Amino acid sequence: MPICILQDIRKTFSIGDIKFEILKGINLTIEKGEFLAIMGASGSGKTTLMNILGCLDTPTSGKYILSGKEVSSLSDDELSTIRNEHIGFIFQNFYLLPYATVFENVLLPTLYMEKRKDKVEKRALELLNLVGLEHRKKFKPNQLSGGEQQRVAIARALINDPELLLADEPTGQLDSKTADEIMSLLRSMNEKGKTLVLITHDQNIASYAKRILRIKDGVIV
Amino acid sequence: MVLLFKLKIISQSIKSISAFKLRSFFCIFSITLGIASITTIVAATEGAYEKAFEIVERFGPDSLLIFGGGEEARATGQRQRTLTLDDIEAIKNSFYSAYLVVPMTAMRDLTITYKNIKYQTLVVGSTDEYSKVWSWPLIEGYDFTIDDVKGLRNVGIIGQFLAKVLFRDEDPIGKYVLIKNIPVQIVGVLSERGTTPSGERLDDRIIIPITTLMRKLQNETKYVSAIRIRFHDQQNLYNYVEELKKFLRKRHSIPPGEPDDFTIISPKEIVKFLVALTGSLVIFLGITGIISLVTAGFVLANLFLLSVKERTKEIGIRRASGAKKSDIMIQFLGESVLLTTFGGLTGFILSLISSRFLSLIAQFPIHFSWKAFVSGLILSWSVGIIFGLQPANRAANLKPIEAIRE
Repeated sequence: MPICILQDIRKTFSIGDIKFEILKGINLTIEKGEFLAIMGASGSGKTTLMNILGCLDTPTSGKYILSGKEVSSLSDDELSTIRNEHIGFIFQNFYLLPYATVFENVLLPTLYMEKRKDKVEKRALELLNLVGLEHRKKFKPNQLSGGEQQRVAIARALINDPELLLADEPTGQLDSKTADEIMSLLRSMNEKGKTLVLITHDQNIASYAKRILRIKDGVIV
Repeated sequence: MVLLFKLKIISQSIKSISAFKLRSFFCIFSITLGIASITTIVAATEGAYEKAFEIVERFGPDSLLIFGGGEEARATGQRQRTLTLDDIEAIKNSFYSAYLVVPMTAMRDLTITYKNIKYQTLVVGSTDEYSKVWSWPLIEGYDFTIDDVKGLRNVGIIGQFLAKVLFRDEDPIGKYVLIKNIPVQIVGVLSERGTTPSGERLDDRIIIPITTLMRKLQNETKYVSAIRIRFHDQQNLYNYVEELKKFLRKRHSIPPGEPDDFTIISPKEIVKFLVALTGSLVIFLGITGIISLVTAGFVLANLFLLSVKERTKEIGIRRASGAKKSDIMIQFLGESVLLTTFGGLTGFILSLISSRFLSLIAQFPIHFSWKAFVSGLILSWSVGIIFGLQPANRAANLKPIEAIRE
């Protein structure tokens, strides 16, 4: 069963009178449980594609069906709810809140939904255990190494048990050994059934995926 | 449930308040100063009203006091003697509503002696109705009588403070004191009245028959210093002021255009005086308070705008994690309102402390009540909302993709 169906997705930006078409008709189907890498150079449109996949942005035209629901024309609030419930993000720069503890960072997405506190806290501990950082739960992000910070971010992405994980250059800030550890962790998530979309320009990182797509000048090649 | 859900977001506001300590400190500090002066104003206004009410009550809301000499003469400290015993009889006969018309003449700093204790005090000459016309009951003994007044007898009633100075623990009733060289027998003791706002001890006085004072101490047969009148119908008091003016001008043959040679003090005059006293301070503090509150508001808005810029990524990651625009709005507005609330509370405390000093140096009536507290709180919320709105709105409207962009 497909989790994402993109039909002729186009995205146009305009600066003054000049219009740039960043995505020029993307057609893509992502199956549930898939591990897909989207590769492309900078400016190829891969980040814009990820933003649309992650409901951070809406396409100028085209259809995007996420988990059987048409989302390309939803309101800002509705998109927020979808991000909260269906999507987990992992960013290149981790994006942890510097003044919150590891534990609080993992819990961040649960602030924006109604779930029982004891349940989500139990799950946060399980996830920290899973990424091997239970003993660091009271640390602040700046007390952690880059690899550890990314593990926290992965735990955060998983807290609401989303169907889709989006990782944008998740190893871009890490050395190759740590990068391998993070990729192995992500692969194990995929093996447990999570659909994983990886955005990268790095061939070695992309090789962890089961399917690789290349994007160039706004089209899949 | 929904409220609980918003509380989670407010808890984020609290976290960032403690995370961005310097910003929080400046915001709180600037609000504190503004709220402190505004709260003091409210308390001072309330204090003034309370004081005015108290003074009017004590003065007697149905009473007038007439002094000899016009307002200008009084202002320059001269005491002209223009009121006569005949005036008093005439007022008694012409104003039927005046149920008490009592003359008074005061002499300051007369030496009074008991045994070997000498003390300088205020000697008031009046009638048997003195304590009645001032609603000033005796706690011991009796008023002197109309016969004492008619007979120029050497009797007196004494204030609490003076009684303590002269008699210590002895019972003053029946004892003789010397005023200058005239022996006076104490027949009554007045109850305690305390101190006026200007610091005068009201209980430091002795009252003797006005006839005795005029003949034996002043060698005077005609003039008195003041007349106190009480009316049955309090609501017409200000009509009586006008009528009395006409009446006395006619009796004193003052041609039109010339100023009065007497001054009528009514409860209204007292309130006017007190309002003039507090008014200038209220205006001064009011302007300072409003300026500092507005300044505080701009400080807050600026620091928050900076903060929003600095925390773009935080906003981005919150939005990516599912925060709605309204959630971001609530968080930032929550931060600013919590900060101003905190500033409001510290401002109230500062105002409490500073007004202590104010009343120490200026005998300034200040009264703190829930009104001062609530108005301070409402003002600090308003500042928090008004000046926090724009930065919070900017934060809420950041596009998620722009917020998380490198």
